[in-house]
Amino acid sequence: MSGDTARAGLSRRDFVTAVSLSLLAGGCGRRFDPRRFHVPQSSVVGLFPASSYAVDFADLIFRGFQELGIALTGRRVFLKPNMVEYELDTVINTHPHVVSGAAIACRRAGASEVVVGEGPGHRRDMEYLLASTGLNDQLREQRIRFVDLNHDDVAVVPLQSWFTGLQELALPVTLLDSDFVISLPKLKTHHWAGMTCSMKNLFGTVPGAVYGWPKNPLHVHGISNSILDLTATIRPHFAIVDAVIAMEGDGPIMGRPRPLGFVAMGSDLVAVDATCARVIGLDPDKIEYLQPAAEFLGVVDASRIEHRGESPDRYGTRFDVVPALEHLRLSR
Amino acid sequence: MATRPTVTERDSLGTAADLSRTCAALRRTLLAARNQDGGWGYAPGRHSRIEPTCWAELALGHSQGRPPDVDAIRAWKRQDDWLLDVPGAPPNIAFNALAALMFLQERSTVPLAQPLISRLIQAKGLRYWQSPALGQDNSIQAWPWVDGTASWVEPTAWCLLVLKKVRSQSPRPEAAERIRVGEQFLFDRVCHDGGWNYGNPEVYGQKLWPYVPTTAMALLAMQDHRSHPVVMQSLRQLQNDVASERSVVAVALTIVCLRPYGVATAALEQTAIELSAEADPGNLLGTAMMLYALTDTREHAAFRF
Repeated sequence: MSGDTARAGLSRRDFVTAVSLSLLAGGCGRRFDPRRFHVPQSSVVGLFPASSYAVDFADLIFRGFQELGIALTGRRVFLKPNMVEYELDTVINTHPHVVSGAAIACRRAGASEVVVGEGPGHRRDMEYLLASTGLNDQLREQRIRFVDLNHDDVAVVPLQSWFTGLQELALPVTLLDSDFVISLPKLKTHHWAGMTCSMKNLFGTVPGAVYGWPKNPLHVHGISNSILDLTATIRPHFAIVDAVIAMEGDGPIMGRPRPLGFVAMGSDLVAVDATCARVIGLDPDKIEYLQPAAEFLGVVDASRIEHRGESPDRYGTRFDVVPALEHLRLSR
Repeated sequence: MATRPTVTERDSLGTAADLSRTCAALRRTLLAARNQDGGWGYAPGRHSRIEPTCWAELALGHSQGRPPDVDAIRAWKRQDDWLLDVPGAPPNIAFNALAALMFLQERSTVPLAQPLISRLIQAKGLRYWQSPALGQDNSIQAWPWVDGTASWVEPTAWCLLVLKKVRSQSPRPEAAERIRVGEQFLFDRVCHDGGWNYGNPEVYGQKLWPYVPTTAMALLAMQDHRSHPVVMQSLRQLQNDVASERSVVAVALTIVCLRPYGVATAALEQTAIELSAEADPGNLLGTAMMLYALTDTREHAAFRF
């Protein structure tokens, strides 16, 4: 991912602070500084079949790393799954098998440390969520460290883009001190944002113990704006999307399960999200946060996205959405 | 020759011993995790924060039959009378209310609460447009987590508790209207079958479910309306939902909530003792809440008015 070389030797916190200080003078009035971002000519997104949650996700994701040229030797990896709520027989959260599989795959790829962290936006009670979703069992079994991002220590860091109009945000130190961030979302429709995938998943990094439940400043300043500022500031290195059973309709909580049967992976989160949008029948050019993302964060244009594993056409379908989002439909 | 204890007596004796051991262990955990500045973080070794510090001081104080030690919070960094949980971030209104509640525990520290109470009376959530997607009244301006955002259940519950406590100790006329609005908000945001979540009972016609911790907090704030149908229904909902809970925070808050309602908590206390034995020692907020729940049985406890 662009920027990795420049970050060598710096913690994420150092990097974010150093870059921001240089931006402050020239950033006023602009939504982002194009000198600080690089959109590649093309990006690679892998779609790897997973017919159920019984598959060996560690193997699948490790093969995905190899296919996409990801080496994690010596890296301190931070895995950010999506955990919002729990209700029996729903598919609200990234499946625990995908989370533990990703952690094992990271270790196999050479990571020196793997931490899983999440800060749910509705429930404060992480103990309840970890137990009810079954993630706690997976974490214990694999001896994976978990950090509740809602209650972690925080550092106030300058934002790297200014779509919200905010200048800075408190973010968890465990996230900032890692050196390889992987967004690990569940693919769902979202009744406000259109779709939630690897970029929207970053809402869970914003600490509730600072901003509350839900993280309402992100809504007040615009969900799409917040998605862009968070992605620009955190700059995740990779995305692994749980689209084995996705959610359609009134997502991200009350929607219906919809089996898709794949895991999407890639270093360009914009390209990953754009690909997933097309698969579920939404037009990424109509999704509010993906349009500006194409200007500075990554690739939306399908002709510039190279696919590995399976073709998106194999999975292409049409998800139900709430009536207010019908205008986001892809014209096929 | 002593007669053999009945089953009830034996259980009671066993529970008392377990309770004593559990509380001693919880106290040790808290004391060992205290930071040099006198406060507590959410986990050992983490920076001191307002919320775990208040709960820890309340718990340690009540468990030893003394008022909470307010020194750490008294010395906290302030901005415009607000306690700043994280310098550079906006003041957290809910946790400032919790600090005010702690100051209100002892006559000598009540003056420390006054500047906070004045700020809490002034604070209000944004008035929002009426969204057809949300089955709620967005015009009600109760309390937000941070300034410039909408009103939510948890900060509203804590702020209501403070103002009602003040009302019972030394009435402030300007607080009466804020109490009315706060109650209106909680009645508006109650879930369909009773209880509260973070503050949205319905989205796009789909009824959202209540959470145990937020229901307990809201019921604490509404303990003076115990015969109101919404409160009675929510109390039943809480008792039903907590039966399957294995979370330290949820069980502890429920015990704290049920006491002012006069509901027996012995069975929940037993659950609490079991949970404490296997609880994550890294969860200092849960540890403090549990110690408070297991020791604070006094009539004039922090969350009664």
